[in-house]
This record gives sequence, structure tokens and C-alpha cells, in this order.
Amino acid sequence: MPQLPSLSRAFANLALPDAELDRLRELHFRDAGHGFDPFGLSPDHVAFGQAVVSPLYERYFRVKSFGHEGLPQTGPAVIAANHSGNIPIDGMMIWSDVLRNTRPPRVVRAIADHFVPSLPFIGTFFARGGMVGGSRGNAQTLLEAGELLLIFPEGTPGILKPFRDRYKLQRFREGHAEMAIRHGAPIVPVGVVGGEEQLPALFTSRRLGRMFGIPGVPIPAVPLPLPVRYYLYYGEPIAVHEEFSPEDADDPKVVRAVAGRVQAAVQALIQRGLAERPGVFA
Amino acid sequence: MTGGPTLDELLASSGHFADPGRRVLVTGASTPLGERLVRLLLTDSRVAHVLAITGEPAESFVVRDPDPDRLSVVQVDMGKERRIRNMLFGAARDRGIDTVVHLAQHRSAHAQGSRVHAFNVESLRAILELAERHPTIRRLVVRSDSAVYQMQRDLPVLIGEDHPLNLHGVLPQWVQDRVEADVTACARMGLSGLSIVVLRMAEVLAPGTGSQIFDYLESALCLRPAGYDPMLNLLTIEDGCTALVKAIFSDAEGVFNVPGADTLPLSACINSWGRVGLPVPGGWMTPLYRLRARLTGSDFRYGMNRRRFHYSGVLDGRRAREVLLYVPSHPIAWPGEDDAEGLSQP
Repeated sequence: MPQLPSLSRAFANLALPDAELDRLRELHFRDAGHGFDPFGLSPDHVAFGQAVVSPLYERYFRVKSFGHEGLPQTGPAVIAANHSGNIPIDGMMIWSDVLRNTRPPRVVRAIADHFVPSLPFIGTFFARGGMVGGSRGNAQTLLEAGELLLIFPEGTPGILKPFRDRYKLQRFREGHAEMAIRHGAPIVPVGVVGGEEQLPALFTSRRLGRMFGIPGVPIPAVPLPLPVRYYLYYGEPIAVHEEFSPEDADDPKVVRAVAGRVQAAVQALIQRGLAERPGVFA
Repeated sequence: MTGGPTLDELLASSGHFADPGRRVLVTGASTPLGERLVRLLLTDSRVAHVLAITGEPAESFVVRDPDPDRLSVVQVDMGKERRIRNMLFGAARDRGIDTVVHLAQHRSAHAQGSRVHAFNVESLRAILELAERHPTIRRLVVRSDSAVYQMQRDLPVLIGEDHPLNLHGVLPQWVQDRVEADVTACARMGLSGLSIVVLRMAEVLAPGTGSQIFDYLESALCLRPAGYDPMLNLLTIEDGCTALVKAIFSDAEGVFNVPGADTLPLSACINSWGRVGLPVPGGWMTPLYRLRARLTGSDFRYGMNRRRFHYSGVLDGRRAREVLLYVPSHPIAWPGEDDAEGLSQP
């Protein structure tokens, strides 16, 4: 019986150009011995994921990316972005964008809410591409290993907010700021524009969510995500590692202030994106 | 079915200790891990004597060319406190034992009752109490198990020694006993002159070790819950012995994870073992494996392993690496291993 990595590899070989395959071979990861890192990331599956996401990235959502030149090419860092659109397409677009725009390619490790790793198929698919469950221990291990984290500080209130609240940031949680200060990692704010309009929901059913062990199930107004254009704006990295010592991570005031700065930076990037985009689909 | 370097190579690689004349007692010496450890210690010039404690008649414990001055074998029922007392203050005192390695655990996941509990937990409690006032014993190395850790979706994948313990709900006695024994040993640390080390070992993938995964892989068709493919970490007997030897000769105290060299997804584990994996709805797993246990007498209990068939859990061996200088270096010799090259191996 063929192993899944072989199938993934075959698909990636078919779908991705040779140059991209060569580039992905340079991907650094901590091989725990069988082609997977301890969290389940596999370069074969990263290539597979890129092959699956690329048509969406290039042709369906036609992503435009600005400021990715400032992404740290090595060392620990935290990408903090706004979350929207009822399903985490924003995470997939950032994941693909970072993979494309880093040399050698870096796999951004998305920190997902607790329930995501327990979702059948989805949890495993995302884990092979680098996602990890949102526990302090996981984030700490990855930062200590010099990885690049993707955190949505709004959490599920951000992705599940009603359409009328689009582009209104929910209160940023503080874990990303604390982790960044403690581990000397810069925070890269990212404003995502386009995601809010991809899948407007009529309402979100908390009752259905409880049945599936998730926060809520959005009931969409359209059968499929709309072909909105995605705009990703990367801001200047906030050098918390230069301003604070690791001990400051225990000071609630410092942590709250940094989280507030990150939120303000993301909000400014969103405003810029909204002002610059010609239209939702353009 | 484990591979790696030979016993001689293993010995050569562990020859940097400088603590001659150790006199070591090994309980559970007739288990695969215990037997290999006794053989390893006997070929180590820094060990003056090994007292092997077995549950079977002493004559059945066979070691090639045994040196009667360096090895003695005693049959002791570890489920009886009086027998343990007699052994520790008899044979062990007479031989000047300074280090006890406690490996005796009931291996069957289906075994239960007070007799099993006495074997798994009360024997360790007795050793702890008696060793503290023993005239020659100074060090106790306890083999514990990764099964003591809680597996839950909101807990870290990489399991450190401070990870929550498996005290969740109604657990099989196999797990309960292991957690209780572990906590019992930890609770006595630092309270007396006895130096205690607890080694929480990853699952040893070998026959006769009580390995649930080994029993699971005995079937040609291995069912797994559809949509889940958690990361596992597995240990070989060679690496388990290496960790035990390092713990015997170290001065360190405390709890240490002992991971193996193999970290891989469940599906890759099934494939590498040359088995066919079949994803089925999660709800089918318990009744199907219960049926298998009844029909074939197998020891694998899906209910006991349900969480680790859903959530990844890999032991973090940093503390053992830094303090005991233990690094897993003996990967499993997988019978179904192919040499296909992936993206990571251009």
C-alpha cells in the first residue's frame, strides 16, 4: 500500500513547476527521523499543500502581497494578523505567501485554536503543512527552535464575527506579545483585506458548534467562497526583542501595551488596504 | 524485531563512566528489557555484581558463561511485601547492593485486581520504604512509562516532564497503577538519603514488553480512526537499556523522559511495519478491537489508547540529554522500510 507522502509527492511533482520544487527542497525543518518533524510537518506535504493552494492563491483569490521583503529570513518571529471570513482561507493565503517570499523557503507555523487539531482530516492536513494546536507549550517549543509563527490574536471571535462588523478588529489577546517578548522574537503585523467578504454568513450557530465541539458553525449566504481579491500587507517588524528583556514578559502592563501596539499596527495596515483597493473583486 | 548496533557496540559506546564497583539489583530481570540490562551490566567492568530478581524459577534465567561472583539470580514474588523485605535485607544486603533498578511491572493490559496492584504499585512502595533504611542501598532507578501522561487536544504535542498526568476519569488499572507508582516514587524524592531517578520511557516496540502498539501491529490489518494520524514516539530495548545504564551511573535525581529514536505518524508506523492500515469511523474501533481481543486473545485495548490514536504526543528528551547525556541512537529496524526518497532527501 503506497504511503501518503508518496502520493503527495507525486501530486506536487505534477502540479508544481520544477523551479518551485527545487526551491522547496531547500526548506529547513527538524526531521525527527522519518521525514516528519515532531509536530507532524512533512516537506512532502508542504509541497502538496502548495500545489493545492497555488491555484486558489494565483487564480481564484489573485493575492497581492506588499511588504513581505521585511519578513525575517531566519530566527524566531511572530506574524500577527487579523482573522476573518468564517473559514481560515486567510491563514492558507498567508502560509502560501510566506512560503513563496522567503529564501530559503520558510513554513509559517500557524497556531490554531484548540479544536482544530481534533477535527478529522482537516486537523491532520493542516498539521502536515505546519499547523500546531494553540497551547503555550507548542508555541514555546517552536520559538525556541527559531520558527516563524502565525497567530491570529483575535481568535475565533475574529473569524466568526458578523458581516456588519467586517474590518473591525476584535480585542487582541496577549499571548503572542508575551511569547515574543519572552523569546526575543520580532512581531510582524499583517493586515489582510479581502477575507471579510469571501463568505458572508447569515448567522453563526453556536448550538451546531457545540454538537461538533467547535465554537460555532457559520451558515453562509453563498454556497462557495466568493472570488474576492486578497491583499496582504506586511508591516515593519516590531522589535520587542530590542526594547524588552525576557523578564518583561511577566509584566502584564508591558504585555498589554505591546499587544495594543500590534493591534494598532494591524488596524493601520487594514485601513491602508481598504483605501488602496479598487474594489472587492478587483 | 528491533535492530541497531550489537550489544558489544552498545557497551563500547557507553564506556566513559568512571564509577567502578557498582553492585546493582534488577527487578523484572526476566523481562526483555531486564534481561538485556543484566547482560549489559555483566559485561561492564564498572559493575562488581548484579543481583537479578525474577518471577520465574532462578534456573530459567539463562546467561551465557555466567560468572558466579558477578551474577546471582533470585526468584521473588514482587507482589508480596514480606518476600521483598526478605530479599532486600537478605540477598541484597549480603551482596552489598548499592543500586536498585526497578523494572517489574505487570505487562497485561487486561490483568486487574489487588494482586496486580500489589505487583505494580505496592512492590515499589515497599522498595522505597525499605531502601531508605537499608544499610547499603543508596540509589533507586524506577522505570516508568509515557502512559502516565495525559493526552488531550489542548495540551502540547511535545511532552515535557511537567506535562499533566493521566488522572482523567475512569482509567484501566494498567494506566492507574503506572500513574500511582510514578507519583509514589516522585513523592519520596529528596525526603531521605536515597537518591531516586524516575525514567518515563516511550513505548518499547518489542515482543514481551507489554507494548500495546506491538500487539496492535501483530494484526495484518490495522484499523485506525479515519481522519486522524497522530505522531508517535517509539523506543528500542537498546536505547531503553542505554538510558538505564546512564541513570545507574549518574548522580542526578529527578524525573526524566526517555524518548526513542523513532518519531513518526501512526500511518507510517503501520506501513513501515509491513501492515495494511485501514481508516474506519472512530466509533467502530472499540467494538472491533474488543471483538479481536475476544477472538484472538490479543492484549491491545483500543479504549485505553483512544486518545493517542487521535492526538499527537512525543516525549521531549531535553532533560535526559542535558543531565543524563542520554541521546536515542538505536532506531527500530522496520521490516517494511522502503528507501524511497522524499523532498527532504533530494
